[in-house]
Amino acid sequence: MSKTFFIDLTKCTACRGCQVACKQWKKLPAEHTENWGSHQNPKDLSGKTLKVVRFTEVETDGNLQWLFFPEQCRHCVEPPCLDAMTVPGSIMHDPETGAVVYTNLTAKEADKEAFGMSCPYNIPRINEETGMVVKCDMCNDRVKMGMLPACVQTCPTGCMNFGDRDDMLSLADERLAKAQERFPDAELIDADSVRVIYLVQTNADSYYEYLSADASSIRKGPMSRKQFLAKLASPIKRMNS
Amino acid sequence: MHTNRRNFLKLSATAAVATAFGGLGLGCTPKADIVDRAAAMDPKWSKQTTTICCYCAVGCGLVVNTSLKTNRAINVEGDPDHPINEGALCAKGASIWQLAENDRRPDSVLYRAPYSNKFTKVSLEWALDKIARNVKQTRDEGFTRINAKGQTVNRVDNIASLGSAALDNEECWAFQTMLRSLGLVYIEHQARI
Amino acid sequence: MTNHWIDLKNSDCILIMGSNAAENHPISFKWVTKAQEQGATLIHVDPRFTRTSAKANMYAGIRSGADIAVLGGMIKYILDNDLIFKEYVVDYTNASFIIGDNYTFEDGIFAGFDPATKTYDKSKWAFALDENGVPKKDTTLKDPKCVYQMLKKHYERYSLDKVVAISGMKHDDLVKLYETYAATGTRDKAGTIMYAMGWTQHTVGVQNIRSMAMIQLLLGNIGVAGGGVNALRGESNVQGSTDHCLLYHILPGYLSTPKAAQPTFEKYNTDNTPVSHDPMSANWWQNFPKYSASLLKAMWMDDDPAVSYNYLPRLDSGSAAEYSWLTLFDKMDKGQFKGLFAWGMNPACSGANANKNRQALGKLDWLVNVNIFPNETGWFWEGPDMDPSKIKTEVFFLPCAVSIEKEGSVSNSGRWMQWRYKGPDAPHGFKPDGDLMYELMHKIQKLYTAEGGVYPEPITRLSWDTIATNGVFDPHKTAKLINGYFLKDTEIKGKVYKKGEQVPSFAFLQADGSTCSGNWLYCNSYTEKGNMAARRSLAQTPEQEKIGLFPNFSWCWPVNRRILYNRASVDLQGKPWNPEKPVIAWEGPDKKWVGDVPDGGWAPGSKHAFIMRKHGFGQLYGPGRNDGPLPEYYEPLECPVKTHPFSGTLHNPTALSYINEDKAVCDPRYPFVGTTYRVTEHWQTGVMTRNEPWLLEAEPQVFVEMSEELAELRGFENGEKVIVESLRGAIWAKAIVTKRIKPFEIQGTVVHQIGLPWHFGWSWPKDGGDSANILTPSVGDPNTGIPETKAFMVNVRKA
Repeated sequence: MSKTFFIDLTKCTACRGCQVACKQWKKLPAEHTENWGSHQNPKDLSGKTLKVVRFTEVETDGNLQWLFFPEQCRHCVEPPCLDAMTVPGSIMHDPETGAVVYTNLTAKEADKEAFGMSCPYNIPRINEETGMVVKCDMCNDRVKMGMLPACVQTCPTGCMNFGDRDDMLSLADERLAKAQERFPDAELIDADSVRVIYLVQTNADSYYEYLSADASSIRKGPMSRKQFLAKLASPIKRMNS
Repeated sequence: MHTNRRNFLKLSATAAVATAFGGLGLGCTPKADIVDRAAAMDPKWSKQTTTICCYCAVGCGLVVNTSLKTNRAINVEGDPDHPINEGALCAKGASIWQLAENDRRPDSVLYRAPYSNKFTKVSLEWALDKIARNVKQTRDEGFTRINAKGQTVNRVDNIASLGSAALDNEECWAFQTMLRSLGLVYIEHQARI
Repeated sequence: MTNHWIDLKNSDCILIMGSNAAENHPISFKWVTKAQEQGATLIHVDPRFTRTSAKANMYAGIRSGADIAVLGGMIKYILDNDLIFKEYVVDYTNASFIIGDNYTFEDGIFAGFDPATKTYDKSKWAFALDENGVPKKDTTLKDPKCVYQMLKKHYERYSLDKVVAISGMKHDDLVKLYETYAATGTRDKAGTIMYAMGWTQHTVGVQNIRSMAMIQLLLGNIGVAGGGVNALRGESNVQGSTDHCLLYHILPGYLSTPKAAQPTFEKYNTDNTPVSHDPMSANWWQNFPKYSASLLKAMWMDDDPAVSYNYLPRLDSGSAAEYSWLTLFDKMDKGQFKGLFAWGMNPACSGANANKNRQALGKLDWLVNVNIFPNETGWFWEGPDMDPSKIKTEVFFLPCAVSIEKEGSVSNSGRWMQWRYKGPDAPHGFKPDGDLMYELMHKIQKLYTAEGGVYPEPITRLSWDTIATNGVFDPHKTAKLINGYFLKDTEIKGKVYKKGEQVPSFAFLQADGSTCSGNWLYCNSYTEKGNMAARRSLAQTPEQEKIGLFPNFSWCWPVNRRILYNRASVDLQGKPWNPEKPVIAWEGPDKKWVGDVPDGGWAPGSKHAFIMRKHGFGQLYGPGRNDGPLPEYYEPLECPVKTHPFSGTLHNPTALSYINEDKAVCDPRYPFVGTTYRVTEHWQTGVMTRNEPWLLEAEPQVFVEMSEELAELRGFENGEKVIVESLRGAIWAKAIVTKRIKPFEIQGTVVHQIGLPWHFGWSWPKDGGDSANILTPSVGDPNTGIPETKAFMVNVRKA
């Protein structure tokens, strides 16, 4: 049975356990950062940071929301980044779990930028030291052994969930109904096309411009993110939610 | 101590499959650093002990995997069988491996002589001998048998102690016993501030 | 905590005030979230909108230091609208007690004040007693001198308008807060409070907490599941280190330290053993002599307690102004101390007025610093504005093992004593702290044995090998001693306990020296059944499962009682107020208590519920505190106003302060209210977390949070380096300009609030900044001496 994350952002406290647990399991190095007027650090995903919690303040009509978005690869059901692959085996799509795993063969790719450009969520990054293209691998090693991904295991509030896809889809529906009682604008993002389904309490763009995308609209064949973004304006953007 | 966790030890049969993916590496670290992290959780490679987080006082349980080869920690994460945290940890709790495996830890006992501008490395034995001598000399010089009102007080007014909530219970008890048998009364720690 | 972490899920209304639990106790939100999922309301009251506020159903802003206005107003609201849980209030609190004729309260000052000493004669606040010495009561609560009526009178000044004017809270928020929280004053509802240093670090710290404890008593929220008064303690073992009393005023188990006026063990015991003439009062502290004798036997096993009592040092008084932290540093600065142990602490950053403390360290002859990493204390002599060639202090830095490299127990906020096992070896042969202190004391003992010295007996006769095996510190042996064992064959209630046998629980401790126990509260933790703290069973009875009691996991003091004051969770017949969430119940054909370990096994109604109090009742009126029997509003010692609406007394008249140190009151140079706090990613002075790259990466530098309005006023850009300064000193910080802080309107004037974390220090990282405690004042609570680091006055300016 393929796997899926369900991430209920109404419950995220931005404790950043996931951000650190990811580095702990994978023994990823820390980056040198500076405070830039925000608690969000590192500022962005990078060659050393595969999971980052984004912080955004939104105030409408005197109602302040502090939105937290633990960002990671969505492990698309039909990953558009596969189109960017030119070296066989640089991306492995695990048929068992659904994990999209970038391998060390990505170092041999001629156009590494293509990975990022192909991604509707702007996830892949290049590690300058190794020359590889990197991103979250679903902790596929843990999952194969019956363990939860490190970020999910460490999440205190039930924000991060992981399991068989059907179970996660029904949990997502159940949580959505519950969330809408308090947040009428709550919705699920791109549920049909990704294996990392976010539940947002307010419109997705308030969190981060790449929180939502219409991944299902990407078909086989090259499509730059620029082209893809142009499609975001289309009224069918949320058809999957 | 081995624990009876739900999802943690189901290793043997699936380990080989995991290795096929786990061994590939993520490209975030140089190739030489790539290890099969999942396989290293196997009891053949590492022992598991439980502990409690050293940060705030929620008291979350953790599982520590220690390499049988090096006796150093290789993984520290939340204990799924702990009823308070059920495997969860915050950023601090999730980072504890790095507390132990940390090259900022000094590699020796250090001594700074009066008016010196540097620390020098000394042995623990030498330092403890010298501290014991200092304590005795200071105590003996400044011991207060009688206070201003003429009451017997038998105390040391010229040595103070600060700490610590970072000690285990048994150490706290031993520490207060040591300090009070020496006669200290200026005894304070984190709970005061 | 009276309750425990998992119990938060049982609450109907969780008030987080004086705490930022989502950030500083993140895993508490597992249980807070669970309560919310079951319909509970989460309210956050704080000067800042934090990660806690982001998850709350309701957030209300408050100026730092104005808590008693808001809480006093809530007491008035509850009383005015008759929202108390009447049966509970009459049966379990001292609402019905008659206050004596000497009690007065005028213009912010209680009876018995002596301006010269800044202290009260507390005897003026005593209850009226009947001919047997038992407090007189009026259970109709109508007597104008009863506590209930006195409360009404005291808080009648705390009107909504006045509270709004001084706290800066919005009127609608205030009313909603009162309505929502007061709704828990029914049998089937429980409200809880989660507070932390946001309440304690004030010159009215104790009274902040008393105010809330009173609200909890009025609403019947103490003793019940999902209720209680819950201090969220900030260090993994600060509960244990407090229980074992690494504090000037108490010995292990909260036994008062001996005073100069107590020349004999008998006098010491008599002074500390309360006497109640009410047969229904359990008056648990009547057992004091058993606990003190057992402690002395644990320390000096070969001596009679009446003799070894003389080995304990005696203080001139119990006054915080004489011995507590702030005064300790004041005396150090004046040259009183030659030696200092800074063991597992970084006082160069952790204490208020850090520059003063750092200077004081230079006046020592020697300093012993035990820590994991280099820190601002051990390295103070090379810090900012220090010239090592002029500093004589000899410094010893002893590195030690980290928590996962050693074995022993820690006690969490919910009083759970939990055993930790050793994982990896410490590098470079480093030892646990216990080994270091054992070896050091062993050397000192040898010196005194060989050479003699001043009053050597307390040292040479100390039973130090009772905590070691083959010359190595042994945490198990120590834990067994803390629990205590029989020192000779002893018969109790017909059963003989053999010499060497572990004492089953503190009810078996003896006053004649036949038992030892290092800490009576921990008696029952390591018994003949084994190490109770190491238990890992999740088994629960169906009743226990209803509230998530987990009595077979680890061990909890006292005697594994998971919810304190639980006799107050049932009526006088032993029936739970809320049968859906019973803590204990008097049940079954043979009528016995089920559920949690009850507060004493007596039949319901046969003993008053609050067994640790002399009279057995929860104290709405508390005549034991140093600053008054009822919480009263005072401004912080540094504040932005000259007057407040409740009295003509601006500050707590008994507050701890140092006369030669100025305070900024309406000082135009320091116009903004400052506060300090913590973030999830760092801990305390940051010595451990600043040295962990993953955490430093997430919060790399000291910052100052401020409103958009203040940034505009000062012309700051978000992320800009700015200077924050107070009367004590100045530091740089990165400006975080945020919508999450709003200016307050205080008595018609706009008052800006800023806040900054105190996790940083000059030594590491090099671009991280320094401690926010450079800004904070040496002033403190008159009961505890805890410094007022949560409300002080600052300026911010361009760097």
